[in-house]
Amino acid sequence: MKFKHGLVVALAMAAFLAVGNLVLAADVIKIAVPTPLTGPAAGYGDNVKAGVAMKIEEINAKGGVNGKKIEAVYFDEQCDPKEAATVGTKIAGDKDLVAIVGHLCSGAHLAALPNYLRAGVAALSPTATNVNISEKGKDAKGQTWSFRNVYRDDFQGVFLADYMAKALGLKKVAVFFANSDYGIGLKDAFLKQAKANGLTIVGEEAYQEKSTDFTPQLTKIKGMAPEALFIAGYYAEGSLIADQAKKLGMDVPKFGADGLDNADYIKLAGPAGDNTYLTTPFLAETAGPEAKAFIDAYKAKFKRDVDWMSANAYDAAGMVIEAISKVGPDRAKVREYLAAINTKDKAYKGITGLTYFNDKGDCEKPAYVKMVKGGQFVPAEKQMTK
Amino acid sequence: MFEQQLFNGLTLGLIYALIAVGYTMVYGVIELINFAHGEIYMLGAFLCITFIQALGIPLFPAIALSMACCAAIGVFIDRIAYKPLRKAPRLAALITAIGVSIFLQNIAMIIWGSRPVPFVRAAVPKVFGETVFTLGSVNVSGLQLFIYAVTTAMMVGLTLIINKTKVGTAMRALAQNPVSAALMGINVDRVISFTFALGSSLGAVAGILVGMYYNTISATMGYNAGVKAFAAAVLGGIGSVPGAMLGGVVLGVAETLGAGYVSSQYRDGLGYAVMIAVILLRPSGLLGKSVGQKA
Repeated sequence: MKFKHGLVVALAMAAFLAVGNLVLAADVIKIAVPTPLTGPAAGYGDNVKAGVAMKIEEINAKGGVNGKKIEAVYFDEQCDPKEAATVGTKIAGDKDLVAIVGHLCSGAHLAALPNYLRAGVAALSPTATNVNISEKGKDAKGQTWSFRNVYRDDFQGVFLADYMAKALGLKKVAVFFANSDYGIGLKDAFLKQAKANGLTIVGEEAYQEKSTDFTPQLTKIKGMAPEALFIAGYYAEGSLIADQAKKLGMDVPKFGADGLDNADYIKLAGPAGDNTYLTTPFLAETAGPEAKAFIDAYKAKFKRDVDWMSANAYDAAGMVIEAISKVGPDRAKVREYLAAINTKDKAYKGITGLTYFNDKGDCEKPAYVKMVKGGQFVPAEKQMTK
Repeated sequence: MFEQQLFNGLTLGLIYALIAVGYTMVYGVIELINFAHGEIYMLGAFLCITFIQALGIPLFPAIALSMACCAAIGVFIDRIAYKPLRKAPRLAALITAIGVSIFLQNIAMIIWGSRPVPFVRAAVPKVFGETVFTLGSVNVSGLQLFIYAVTTAMMVGLTLIINKTKVGTAMRALAQNPVSAALMGINVDRVISFTFALGSSLGAVAGILVGMYYNTISATMGYNAGVKAFAAAVLGGIGSVPGAMLGGVVLGVAETLGAGYVSSQYRDGLGYAVMIAVILLRPSGLLGKSVGQKA
């Protein structure tokens, strides 16, 4: 008897919960945030999560969108294309998810994209810089479903070549590049522009990711006395290159793109990390008053300094939510709204500046330069605006 | 420049050699390719920085302590993972070794995280970090000299243990014929444990030296080093301790010269190409003896 009684209570509770959920579901608008939450890139994923969470908290504190709360649903894809494809299928199939802020990694974004095209849901990546994304974001009708509010790899490569030649007046540069899509794309764009700028390239050295010994290449390059090293790769290898160059007596400035941009780069390279110049889409020191408020709130909430990924994610979430607030929680209409932000006049005004897209979903974002000085990131003295 | 490349290659090669002797000793005694050896090397580095950072132990005692810990871990792994399979087909033990390797790597990721971690710079004496000696056209850092000294001392010590001590004699006897060795009153299990302890403690030293040299250690560093050391052991003639030393040095120098003179894109490939060439010409490796199957 007792058992029966318990059953009734359980059923009643289940029914109650189900109704509760229904009521709740009608009150929230969900957006998907696929990003690495575990695995080697989890640190980055955490940055994106922090940015999105701050934007959503801010909107909800003001009463949400048309009386409904916004809710982020996080998906862990570990920055792994295979996982991303699985997660992408899941997101595409869940009609409650109105739009996507993500993916973080280019490879993951490319792997998940076909699902989004098929299901008709827009994805706005705050961080994926790979060039190929531009061509892969359109469906058969020519509509773009993939957007990003970050510059492309080739832009960073060209920018750095200009910065070295025009802002710093360097003449001889050696290039190290990771033998990956990222490293090669960045290096190719850099070399083309460097040659146009009259820079002499002394040594183009490829390396495999996870390599630890760069002394043979550095020893070879040293004889040619380059004035700078351009490192087209990630910080794990970049910090070793910097360190080993210094040990071989090559204390030259280092240059890199977003792949080097990590506090761990400074930790791993130690004093050899000083004098490294990096492109970044967001420089706290040059940002406006709204950005300053964001930076302070961020620091208070997460007890760490803001990074460009969080800032970009904050704006990406802001754009998606703005779209929803204007056209309602409708996948197709959200895409139309985002695609229509295509000129400077219609640009979204966020903390990272003005964002608008071309017909491939790419945005034009200015790059800033920061450098490592005394073991810390500081804005470079010379900035360059195109 | 050539001399400089040679010195750099030597540094790399001596470290490979130090890991390779661990491989080759275990193979010599029980004919097991111990794939988990690379993970011991990684654990050595992590344990050392943990002792320095968490317990405030100075560098040299921390090295000794992590050698002792790795020796114990090596013996422990043998006891729980390999010993029960001693009589099973060799493939079973090989697969188990791969399993242990993956297991240890993941344990390390849980404990120390998956990001690369810097070696404790402050604990490394300044002589190593900052002194650079110039010999003609060659720059040799204090740390490189330290690596030469330590690896040479370790290998001399190892050679003495194998050739001059009772347990060394027992190891050699076991390598020749385990059944007869047992019949002669050798405690086979104890000798195997000793082999694991010795090889693992050398692996730990290699891990620590690499950590100091590159200032970076990561949970996944064991895999690559393990493959390189395995190649070095095969190159020298698997089972032969002097062969592993020579193989390590040859591999390190070949890779460095290959990357310096041919193309950095093919550096790993060149190292293996040398290995394949040697094995094609001398199937038993540089110093290996071509003996028939063990009874």
